Amino acid sequence: MSTFSQALINGIALGGMYLILVLGFSIIWGVMGVINLAHGEFVMVGAYLAWVANEWLGSDPFLVVLPVFFILAAFGFVLQRILVNRVIDRPHLVSLLVMFGVSIILQNAMKLIFSADFRRNDTVLDGAWSLSERVSIPVTKFMVLLVALAVLVALHQFLQRTRTGKSIRAAAQNREAARIVGIDINKVYAITFALCLGMTGVAGALISPILSVQPFQGPPLTLKAFAITAMSGLGSVKGALGGAMVLGIIEAMLALYVDKIGTNLAVVASFVILVAALVLRPQGLFGGLRPVDATAS
Amino acid sequence: MGILGSIAVFVGVAAAIALTLVGLALIPQRVRRMVGIGLGAVILVGLIVLPLLEHTTNSELFTLTLLLTTVGVSINWNLTGGFTGYVDFGHAVWFGIGAYVTGILMSLQTNGLGIGWPFVPSLIVASGVAAVMAALIGRATMRLKGPYFSIAMLGTFVAMREIVRVSEPLTGGGVGLTLPPYQNRPLFYYVQLGLVVALLLFTWWLRGTRFGSTLVAIREDELGAEMRGINTTRNKVAVFTFSGFSTGLFGGLWAYQNTFIDPDIAFVEVRTIDAVMGTMLGGLGTVTGPVVGSAFLFLLRELIWANFLDWHLLIQGLLLIGIVLFLPKGMIGVLDPRTTSISSLWSKYFGSETVDVHTGTSVMDALEDDDTTAMAVSADEVAVSAEAEGGQ
Repeated sequence: MSTFSQALINGIALGGMYLILVLGFSIIWGVMGVINLAHGEFVMVGAYLAWVANEWLGSDPFLVVLPVFFILAAFGFVLQRILVNRVIDRPHLVSLLVMFGVSIILQNAMKLIFSADFRRNDTVLDGAWSLSERVSIPVTKFMVLLVALAVLVALHQFLQRTRTGKSIRAAAQNREAARIVGIDINKVYAITFALCLGMTGVAGALISPILSVQPFQGPPLTLKAFAITAMSGLGSVKGALGGAMVLGIIEAMLALYVDKIGTNLAVVASFVILVAALVLRPQGLFGGLRPVDATAS
Repeated sequence: MGILGSIAVFVGVAAAIALTLVGLALIPQRVRRMVGIGLGAVILVGLIVLPLLEHTTNSELFTLTLLLTTVGVSINWNLTGGFTGYVDFGHAVWFGIGAYVTGILMSLQTNGLGIGWPFVPSLIVASGVAAVMAALIGRATMRLKGPYFSIAMLGTFVAMREIVRVSEPLTGGGVGLTLPPYQNRPLFYYVQLGLVVALLLFTWWLRGTRFGSTLVAIREDELGAEMRGINTTRNKVAVFTFSGFSTGLFGGLWAYQNTFIDPDIAFVEVRTIDAVMGTMLGGLGTVTGPVVGSAFLFLLRELIWANFLDWHLLIQGLLLIGIVLFLPKGMIGVLDPRTTSISSLWSKYFGSETVDVHTGTSVMDALEDDDTTAMAVSADEVAVSAEAEGGQ
């Protein structure tokens, strides 16, 4: 029983990591209809920023969350203006290929700058709190979970309460109608993209003490974000929480109960979840801003 | 060759290609076809004679063999991505499966699991396995449309690499497998040259058959094709299976020549990227486009980017964005009225129509009746053209 509760705790902690990871991806897709294939690469950039801060300034990854947010948000704003805006009204595949190009560029730019070595970030929030002899809470992941929940609440309030948040939701629901009532769609998209990239960068900074930082860590993360979004529904903030927890717990159970190879099987699990969710329940388990219309033609 | 020398050679090649394309665009279509065939024949004779020349080294032959591999994979990718319109972002998975099954069968002895197989039977079984996997996976993933199919295939690719990595007793895990060494560069060169030519002729023939027209009909209007009684699933999966089979073949050939495979070199994203980019540069859904485009990209990399090896993927990413935004029809595509551009391909699935959040239905549904009529009409045209072309 204690092994099971340990796996459950690990899974929830891992789910926190996935929650902060998936929010940006899900909202960009839900609001702008752009599948951000470079999502994992933006996470990686955030992780490298945190690593640089740690290496040069000795700063803890949890302390650089805000600077990383603003750097990536500025980057996102510029990228939206010069590139994403051009493809947003075009078919999905154009934006998909363009973001694929961005991901190749970022991977190799980071490889040129930092080499392909695996980097690891340190944090003082390390170790484990033991609850009993065989059950303990991994501190770093637990802290990430807390930050992720704080971001989730803040984001939810922002989308529900503020005027900008409301116009973002309006743009997601009906672009034309939003335009008619006087919402500046381009501005809304720029803000959305900046906000989401900022959150994605924060995710990178937070997971840098957990996963090794390296230029090619992106694609599996993108795949996981995709799987969670397919489960939780596009742009659904609450759904993201559910989907992230489901994936985290499944992965933790696999890691615990399947000897040695369980961690590698995690990627396989995300893939199975992804296809199953797209085929069986395209609207997501928790309902979203709009359905993932995967089999409609 | 120094950097300047290789740049000069490349600029020469590029200028020659550009002049040829402009020249071809200026002459009437019937003459153009004859000139095209003539050019192809000259290049083919050149490629056949090349190994017989005195100063051709083995390493140059190996480079050309790799070029032929890239071209072959691009032709296969074009069968699903270009003809059927199902853009596969994980095509390299079939290459990896072909390479790995070949490797596993040939190195059974060293792994202590039995007697190692000879190469040819291993290769046949390997492509067979790739075909069966493509048929099984295709049946699930080809139900998804547009970007969802692309992502599901990307997932297949990433997942398969991990499966190979964890199946350690069979695949050697992350350490990889060493195949019995055998070096005969000219033999493999000719085998692959023959394969690529056969594949090209096959594609050309296929495009004219009823099956080929069916594939294009699926790309242009899948629902319409279905309404005309075409079993779209069977046709899609059939071409996907062939594509997997053929790519698996190239994978097995590559594995034997490379004599070493591990998950990270057998399942490498670059192979998919090369196929997608080569095909798009040449012209999506054209017969010769993938050959021209991917050969061009390969030479570009060998001649220029070899001097900036670290930069080449970065440049490739920029180039991909450039092609998508500014040359959506590709080099051959601008010459051929029958092709499609990537943007027209997806607009019918995911046009800029807006979706109502509560019902999940499209605003366009109000016009449903008109849409259905339009759909039936276009389906009619597709069927008529399929019959006309099938009868040729």
